[in-house]
Amino acid sequence: MVARRRKRAARGSEEGLTSPPGYSAIPIKFSEKQQASHYLYVRGHRVREGTKSSWPQKRTLFVLNVPPYCTEECLSRLLSPCGPVQSVELQEKPDLAETTKEPKSKFFHPKPVPGFQVAYVVFQKPGGVSAALALKGPLLVSTESHPVKSGVHKWIRDYRDSVLDPEALRVEVDTFMETYDKKMAEEEAKAQEEEGVPDEEGWVKVTRRGRRPVLPRTEAASLRVLEREKRKRARKELLNFYAWQHRETKMEHLAQLRKKFEEDKQRIELMRAQRKFRPY
Amino acid sequence: MGPAPAGAQFRGAAGEPEVMEPALEGTGKEGKKESSKKHTVAGSPGEGLWQPVKLSRAELYKEPTNEELNRLRETESLFHSSLLRLQVEELLKEVRLSEKKKERIDAFLREVNQRIMRVPSTPETELTDQVWLPAGVQVPLHQVPYAVKGRFRFLPPARVTVVGSYLLGTCIRPDINVDVALTMPREILQDKDGLNQRYFRKRALYLAHLAHHLAPDPLFSSVRFSYTNGCHLKPSLLLRPHGKDERLVTVRLHPCPPPDFFRPCRLLPSKNNVRSAWYRGQSPPGSGSPEPPTPHYNTWVLQDTALESHVQLLSTVLGSTLGLKDGVALLKVWLRQRELDKGLGGFSGFLVSMLVAFLVSTRKIHTTMSGYQVLRSILQFLATTDLTVNGISLCLSSDPSLPALADFHQAFPVVFLDSSGRLNLCADVTASTYHQVQHEARLSMVLLDSKADDGFQLLLMTPKPMIRAFDHVLHLHPLSRLQAACHRLKLWPELQDHGGDYVSATLGPLTTLLEQGLGSRLHLLAHSRPPVSEWDISQDPPKHRDSGTLTLGLLLRPEGLTSVLELGPEADQPEAADFRRFWGSRSELRRFQDGAIREAVVWEAASMAQKRLIPHQVVTHLLALHADIPDTCVHYMGGLLEALIQGLKETSSTGEEALAAVVRCYDDLSRQLWGLEGLPLTVSAVQGAHPVLRYTEVFPPAPVKPAYSFYEHLRERASLLPRPDKPCPAYVEPMTVVCHLEGSGQWPQDAEAIRRVRAAFQLRLAELLTQQHGLRCRATATHTDVFKDGFVFRIRVAYQREPQILKETRSPEGMISLRDTRASLRLERDTRQLPLLTSALHGLQQQHPAFSGVARLAKRWVRAQLLGEGLTDESLDLVAAALFLHPEPFTPPSSPQVGFLRFLFLVSTFDWKNNPLIINLNNELTVEEQVEIRSGFLATRLQLPVMVIFTPQDRKSSVWTQDGPSPQILQRLVVLAAEALPVLEKQLMDPRGPGDIRTVFRPPLDMYDVLIRLSPRHIPRHRQGVDSPAASFCRGLLSEPGSSSLMPVLGYDPPQLYLAQLREAFGDLALFFYDQHGGEVIGVLWKPSSFQPQPFKASNTKGRMVVSQVGELMMVPNVEAILEDFAILGEGLVQAVEARSERWTV
Repeated sequence: MVARRRKRAARGSEEGLTSPPGYSAIPIKFSEKQQASHYLYVRGHRVREGTKSSWPQKRTLFVLNVPPYCTEECLSRLLSPCGPVQSVELQEKPDLAETTKEPKSKFFHPKPVPGFQVAYVVFQKPGGVSAALALKGPLLVSTESHPVKSGVHKWIRDYRDSVLDPEALRVEVDTFMETYDKKMAEEEAKAQEEEGVPDEEGWVKVTRRGRRPVLPRTEAASLRVLEREKRKRARKELLNFYAWQHRETKMEHLAQLRKKFEEDKQRIELMRAQRKFRPY
Repeated sequence: MGPAPAGAQFRGAAGEPEVMEPALEGTGKEGKKESSKKHTVAGSPGEGLWQPVKLSRAELYKEPTNEELNRLRETESLFHSSLLRLQVEELLKEVRLSEKKKERIDAFLREVNQRIMRVPSTPETELTDQVWLPAGVQVPLHQVPYAVKGRFRFLPPARVTVVGSYLLGTCIRPDINVDVALTMPREILQDKDGLNQRYFRKRALYLAHLAHHLAPDPLFSSVRFSYTNGCHLKPSLLLRPHGKDERLVTVRLHPCPPPDFFRPCRLLPSKNNVRSAWYRGQSPPGSGSPEPPTPHYNTWVLQDTALESHVQLLSTVLGSTLGLKDGVALLKVWLRQRELDKGLGGFSGFLVSMLVAFLVSTRKIHTTMSGYQVLRSILQFLATTDLTVNGISLCLSSDPSLPALADFHQAFPVVFLDSSGRLNLCADVTASTYHQVQHEARLSMVLLDSKADDGFQLLLMTPKPMIRAFDHVLHLHPLSRLQAACHRLKLWPELQDHGGDYVSATLGPLTTLLEQGLGSRLHLLAHSRPPVSEWDISQDPPKHRDSGTLTLGLLLRPEGLTSVLELGPEADQPEAADFRRFWGSRSELRRFQDGAIREAVVWEAASMAQKRLIPHQVVTHLLALHADIPDTCVHYMGGLLEALIQGLKETSSTGEEALAAVVRCYDDLSRQLWGLEGLPLTVSAVQGAHPVLRYTEVFPPAPVKPAYSFYEHLRERASLLPRPDKPCPAYVEPMTVVCHLEGSGQWPQDAEAIRRVRAAFQLRLAELLTQQHGLRCRATATHTDVFKDGFVFRIRVAYQREPQILKETRSPEGMISLRDTRASLRLERDTRQLPLLTSALHGLQQQHPAFSGVARLAKRWVRAQLLGEGLTDESLDLVAAALFLHPEPFTPPSSPQVGFLRFLFLVSTFDWKNNPLIINLNNELTVEEQVEIRSGFLATRLQLPVMVIFTPQDRKSSVWTQDGPSPQILQRLVVLAAEALPVLEKQLMDPRGPGDIRTVFRPPLDMYDVLIRLSPRHIPRHRQGVDSPAASFCRGLLSEPGSSSLMPVLGYDPPQLYLAQLREAFGDLALFFYDQHGGEVIGVLWKPSSFQPQPFKASNTKGRMVVSQVGELMMVPNVEAILEDFAILGEGLVQAVEARSERWTV
């Protein structure tokens, strides 16, 4: 089996690599030592008319199937022969809609364990993309001049990185809370300002902070109200008062028994099918 | 371990559409619609699943017929529920003999009758002259002493009658026995044949001659001898038909004397019928002393005379009343499941039938009762009546010549007289057998009264073999030692009475001895009954010592196990001498704190594990002292499995003490947290959330004392780091503690802001703990690690309202509604449910000291089978808790061994598909609530995970099994448990020693596609392996605490980090299996679905490559590159990647 695959791989390299339409394939290996290689599938980044993208058209290369040991720096280094690289962004999935990027705090968003990822590589010039599409490879992730850590060495480095500085954390928390408090204070002030002031149609917004606070508009609260109503109604109703009520309760009881009986019969049927009645 | 089921089967299952994909979303209307569609569309995989019954309105509310009303009313009054009624009917159908088979048996019996009548007679000879017997047959009796007076000749029987259950219609499959009584003609017997075994000798010769003439007949497939009910003086002849009916029936021939041949007054229990002068060849010392009575011998003779009268009695009582017959059949099943009915002195079906007759005669059972009611009445009677003290009698006459019940009590432990008033039906039943019956009856009554849904299943369908029912089991082997014991215990009269059967003669005295010695530690002592052997007619009857082994089962009393002291009387009391005699050299005079000077026995036991095994010391000591049985003959099965949960260094403890030490340290920490000054908000609760804090961590942590030179130092953070040039340091797992802070208006109402505030609290906690208690702390945004007394705790600050805030969503109209989200569920699980569970299980451990051992053994086994990843810690702990909270039909286990066996049994037999495992922690759920939970389960089955565990806190969603196991993993677990159980039980029941007890813990590896071998250098828990290596690497620990206190390396476990990477990168393509306790190999199984070529998709290229197949571009996994990736990702850790490429094709 393996032999067959070998042969196929060999043939593949002779004939040029198969790649899906629109993409070109670039073999990538961890280092010289490896025999087989993964394939990056790359194409220029483009989106449909009308949709916006945070990546610049024409200058961005879209890369599929980036192996887990290949980091942003690494990819940038590997593609730099095609032209100067402006930025590399690795993601778990290709992003379809535009997302707003916030700088992520290393304290609150620890780096996830990498799997196979997709990358958006932005070159400084459009020429980089076309050069990259023509790249033959195989690319080597780890070379002697730029070794990439993996295995035990990587884990030890990760462990070291996970021991963070509490002071930096404190500073970050403080700045966040400061802006948050400011934001809340502003909202509060705005709400106070609007309190009791009718809008142009003459409506007054009633808030929790007013003189006569109202119930908060939550689902739970409205359910509670409904429940109370129901109980009130039930208290007024008479049970087993008329003859027909009697008859109906009896019939209901019988129906329950029948239903139970049918259920039991079904269970027994099932147990019989599973040979549950063989005692030994 | 037996052969693993082929991986192919496992893989086939994986390919099937998953029926029970847990669907978090999909509540509400839409979800329902979808599920009902699933029902009809995916009907085939959902087969074997209960579905809520749908009856049309017309069907439900139609006018009832009389018949229907009657049946419903009958069900209500005669049975527990309609389900039970149906179940009982099904069971009876299963064990009943069909009419067709009955006809075949009848035909066979007629044939047998003819053949017997045609056996030729022989001339009269002396009893000792047996040369007339042909060569091919041996006398089925040990003729010791050989010389005996009397003359014998064979004549065809005067009458051949069918007796026993076959005639009554109460015999049950699968072992159909038809008892046939052959009345010997009066000419064969002479006066005084009751004396000195003469009658039994003749009986044996009679059978031997019969056997010789019946054996060559082609009608029979086998003609063999056996003992009637295991009694060594009374052989019987077994005939089995030839052809396809071979297994259908066994006809047992019992010769019996002509009616009124023996004078009953000669056979009273106080009479002697085996003379010492004859039996021992000498007159008893001090001639003139009375001959010892031979009650058992007399009973055996009497039994033969009463065969027919018993059948007559039973047939008049049971007659044509179906209910009573059903009841007897159910009771027989009940006894058989408990292994009570077999062997000498078993509580046989015949005894139960007689008991029914007795209750009918005292009007406790009415003939209109249903089988279920009969079963219930008998159990009630057994549970409440002690026949060892107050015997009962079927005899109605008040003839003054009849002996009194008291006479029988003197001779027999259990008394139940037949209608003649002279024969004790329970003569061979020992007191401990009867107590076992009583114990079982009591348990069953509790079960019946508890209205449990599956009472029927537990009562009648669950086997209770000795090894699974008793906490400890011991084998006496070889049995020949008992002969010496007999002499030591001075049991000559008993030996004379039992015709030399020293096993049954010693049973009673031995059990009494042990019961007395074990005292408060013992709940119940049971013994196996010697099995009824069969042998060929050309062979000598088996010797007493060949009747297997004697197995004793001990049901322990956990509260008695904690004491190491056996307190005796004060030294000057007269009882002190008895005490000294009883305990021999172990008895010592001791002075106690209250000033008393008493005799006492102190056993050496420091740890819980050793205390559990004190019964072993007691038993071996007493047996050696009083019965001369050396400890090499006592094979004690009680603590063998405990080696698997023992720590690395200590061999005397199973970790309960270490766990308690951690819990003490945790208590201390929580006090410190409570008393912390300077926190802006006060601590409202401190709760443990780690397995250690509920006593279920397989290997309890030891205090860490790092050797600083072994590590790299990160001075500015006061932390140690692993060094790449050294072996991986010891694994230190931080133990999670949840610290709730009080609610306050100061908390922000925004999820992100709450996280920041929590982080600020984590920092503050670290600061304050360092300042006020001098503890080394390290704070991060989500937790604070505290290094205290060598243990590391991970404190997580929690705010009670946070899950709710995460749940809030605002509808367009401004209505705030609560919807579960992934994050809120997770947070709720971690900060609310997990601490609750931890405290509930902590409480369980206080009630049942064996819980820790059972839970840890179970977890250990599951992980050793490489399935630890699929099943969460909590789910396994809960399954173990179920064994204690719902032990029926057993009692809660008191030893890890029996608990583990029951864990395997539960896992392998529980119907996970159709039943939720409801664990009633703290007994919070009422019966009605449980019914409600069950019906809710039925309605939402398809949304729930495959394995469903409900607790009072979690009645709808089965939190702990949401993320696994997958159907395939559960299936695998069930299969493995079903294979491991018989293997382990066989090992433990083997009297020659269990062999290698770790066998069932070694995982089969032949099912995996790729094996990744790891280097032990980087496995920090290498020494915990099932086969613990003799030597491993230094892990940077000191035996003495070092000078400074830097934070040790926490949670650094390279195999786990490696697995996380593998699962992230290749989780779509393969499953990875690993034993976290020192496993040296990772098993990889390709997912068959991912090996199907797929069309190209940008979102699904992970680790695949494009190939052209038949002109089309398809994606297949890039296996060769992936195999190399395995090595790259685990550089340093991976030793070798073994691909078994013959197992797959791309």
